[in-house]
Amino acid sequence: MIPPTQGFGVAVLALVAVLGFGAFAYRAWKLYRYLRLGWNEDRTQQLGKRLKDELVIYLLQRKLLKRPYYVRGLAHAFIFWGFIVITLGTTDLLLSGLVGLRMPGAESALFVWAVDIFAALVLAAIILALARRLFFKPPRMHIALDGYIILGLIATLMVSLLIFENAGLAAGYLAIHQATPPLAQLVPLAWGGAAGTVFAAAWWVHVVTVLGFAAYLPQSKHLHIVTTLPNVFFRSQRPRGALRFVDKIEEQETFGAATLRDLSWKQHLDGYTCTECGRCSDNCPALATGKPLDPQKIVLDLRDLLLKEGDLLLKDGAATGTPPAHQLASKPEELWACTTCAACVEQCPVTIEHIDKIVDMRRYLVMQEAAAPPEAQRAMTNIERAGNPWGEAASTRGDWAQGLGVPTLAEKPDAEYLYFVGCAASFDRRNQRVAQALAKILQAAGTSFAILATEETCNGDPARRMGNEYLWQLQAQQNIDTFGRYTVRKIIASCPHCFNTIANEYPQLGGRYEVVHALQLVQDLIADRRITLGAGPVESVAYHDPCYLGRHNGIYEDPRAVLDAIDGVRRMEIEPHHRERGFCCGAGGGRMWMEEKVGQRVNHRRVEQILAAGDAKGERPAKVASGCPFCLIMLDEGVGAKGIQEELKPVDVLELVAARLQSEGVMRSNSSSA
Amino acid sequence: MKVAPDGTSVVTEGITWSISPYDEYAIELALEHKDTAADTVVSVISVGGPRTKDALRQALAMGCDDATLVTGDGADALGPLGIANALKSAVDDLKPDLVLCGKQASDDDQGFVGPALAEALGWPHVAVVTKFAPSASGTEIWKEVEGGHEVWKASGPAVLTVQKSAKDPRYPSLPGIMKAKKKEIPERPVAGVDDPVRIEIVKLEPPPGRGGGKIFKDGDTKAHAAELAKLLRDEAKVL
Repeated sequence: MIPPTQGFGVAVLALVAVLGFGAFAYRAWKLYRYLRLGWNEDRTQQLGKRLKDELVIYLLQRKLLKRPYYVRGLAHAFIFWGFIVITLGTTDLLLSGLVGLRMPGAESALFVWAVDIFAALVLAAIILALARRLFFKPPRMHIALDGYIILGLIATLMVSLLIFENAGLAAGYLAIHQATPPLAQLVPLAWGGAAGTVFAAAWWVHVVTVLGFAAYLPQSKHLHIVTTLPNVFFRSQRPRGALRFVDKIEEQETFGAATLRDLSWKQHLDGYTCTECGRCSDNCPALATGKPLDPQKIVLDLRDLLLKEGDLLLKDGAATGTPPAHQLASKPEELWACTTCAACVEQCPVTIEHIDKIVDMRRYLVMQEAAAPPEAQRAMTNIERAGNPWGEAASTRGDWAQGLGVPTLAEKPDAEYLYFVGCAASFDRRNQRVAQALAKILQAAGTSFAILATEETCNGDPARRMGNEYLWQLQAQQNIDTFGRYTVRKIIASCPHCFNTIANEYPQLGGRYEVVHALQLVQDLIADRRITLGAGPVESVAYHDPCYLGRHNGIYEDPRAVLDAIDGVRRMEIEPHHRERGFCCGAGGGRMWMEEKVGQRVNHRRVEQILAAGDAKGERPAKVASGCPFCLIMLDEGVGAKGIQEELKPVDVLELVAARLQSEGVMRSNSSSA
Repeated sequence: MKVAPDGTSVVTEGITWSISPYDEYAIELALEHKDTAADTVVSVISVGGPRTKDALRQALAMGCDDATLVTGDGADALGPLGIANALKSAVDDLKPDLVLCGKQASDDDQGFVGPALAEALGWPHVAVVTKFAPSASGTEIWKEVEGGHEVWKASGPAVLTVQKSAKDPRYPSLPGIMKAKKKEIPERPVAGVDDPVRIEIVKLEPPPGRGGGKIFKDGDTKAHAAELAKLLRDEAKVL
């Protein structure tokens, strides 16, 4: 259409454009300078993966379309896609208004139709979003004026666009070659003689709103419109279960995030990108059970601190500002409540890295200030002195295997697999039975394996997640040295925490092995018919996803496949808290060894969720099976505290397999009689 | 714990050596005082072989200012009076206002060195201490007694042997650990220290293994109670 900017109008438009974009650029530059206060973390490796992320997460909005947010996610996707199309339309408007140039293809039917149809779709989505805020407010959502202003601005943009198209048509302003917008002409062109004026007015409203929007954007949470693109691009390409490695730790002067300068620029970009949607908080087990932790608040507190103290830090290179760990409203208790279950990270549509921030601040508290909760300190001292967080005698580490014919690597150095037992299965009586079950399965399958017994030491995971990177490195290095002495190549872990840290974190120290979780291996053994499972009682078994197996490592199917292969077992899901929405047992992140005095215990909530599970016929699970020793301890405690040991029995999937194992002896006698 | 084949010592292979817990509480008490009075100097002294240096480094990492090791041939074999005499010569040089020791070691549990050091120095000694604070006339010392505490006062230097207190010994910060690694630990010779009383271990035996216990399964609570009373009277002979 012919823009109403003849003569004087061009100057006005140019002035408004300079003001709008100028305000945007000024603020953006300031935000960029604040962001660069963070240390210079390299996030440019693995370009291919980053481009794929842009396609899947950014353009296809993959992380918005997640359980249980499908409808809302789709509404957002339409606003987003609409925005891309309409931004192209706006660029065309401004170009034609300012310099009389049209964008290539701007007059094509495809483009005109796209702008027109998306304008209507965006308008519909905005009405949905407004209605939601006004009438069906989700409890997690933090409703602020900001949201209404933005929705109002977008609605103004769409309505003015449709009006000026409609009036422009009536006034005959359509360029000769231009296609007709389909929706704008559905409404009768009834402006009469005023059509030209209405067109000009709506056109100006539209263009000025666009420029106002540009000026307002970087002041508001809707900055994510701009920052999501780089935030997704620069997201961590580490395995999710791996924390950031601190190289040459002994040469550092400060540890963890002591100041805003000790968070990386990407962590500050996370803060700019947070849309305050609250999905992280919605899924946080700590928040759900009344703890002071709210993952969204952590991200926003850091952002607000940066906005508040950014100028000060820029002016004075020596200034440190408030330590972020002490900036949080309820102080370090927030940080200590985190189980590192990654429910927040899993759900965040814009790939914010919550755990890294929390662990960086814990690193400051533990390593710099030596200010961990006393129980956490005790666990770390125990790891240092006894090689396990419970402080059990290191010399008894291999005792669980006595009389089972399980060799040590010293006795059988050519074993194919090292079974890394872990502290829980080595020392906790309940979990010793799980280790014994796995040994029985591996022996029946004829798998060549051995253990380290007293040569094994804690993998370091609890220390690392509590923030003691140094102790993790010492523990990991000790194990890596031991593995090296025996030239270990393949490792089985029955504990997802051992599995995760050896598979995903030991490579940071040069320890590279082929690591499998026991349930992955057992699934292979079943599929390859290396073990045969006999008949067993019919029982309903709910599967509880351990966070470090599921969300951190994407192992959802193998444990389920094992359960499905067990005769008599009817597998049940703990709806809706299963798979990627699995609810933590409460023991991750070193919480296993810390007291839990505030709110409801996380494991008690989990037991309630399991009790509420069942199928359509009203059948309830009699057992809850997991693949993690910590989950087993926590579920046992939860069931015990509720006094329902008779109704719900926590087990490890390995125990169910071992109980139905047809031993090699039986198989051999069967085949000889055949 | 396993008794060594010689029957008079325990197998020390695979043991991770650490500061005796009561000594850690003594260090913590001293450091807490330093937290409130920053000009306090906390020196830590130990007597023993080369391994003892690791324990001193741990104390430095926790925040002690300096460390001294009294060592040399025979340092590990000193008896409690010998250790007290070895410490005395170091204390004479350092001239502290207060000496804090753990109330007993966690291996031999003798509880001898602290009082012996006080005797050797000619200083007063207060035992089972959980707290101390400077007062107008010297030092106020909290001594644990059954169901409460007594407050003692020392007008001059004293030896306190420290009990477990409410606050756990602090975990060292990483800068503390790194600083401790670089610190010099001066050594004093143990040679010539008077060690008048020797203790000889004649024999070590592990305690008898515990019985399996009994679990009542069948019957109701009333029957269980009757059975329990019978067994306590006839078998355990405690009723």
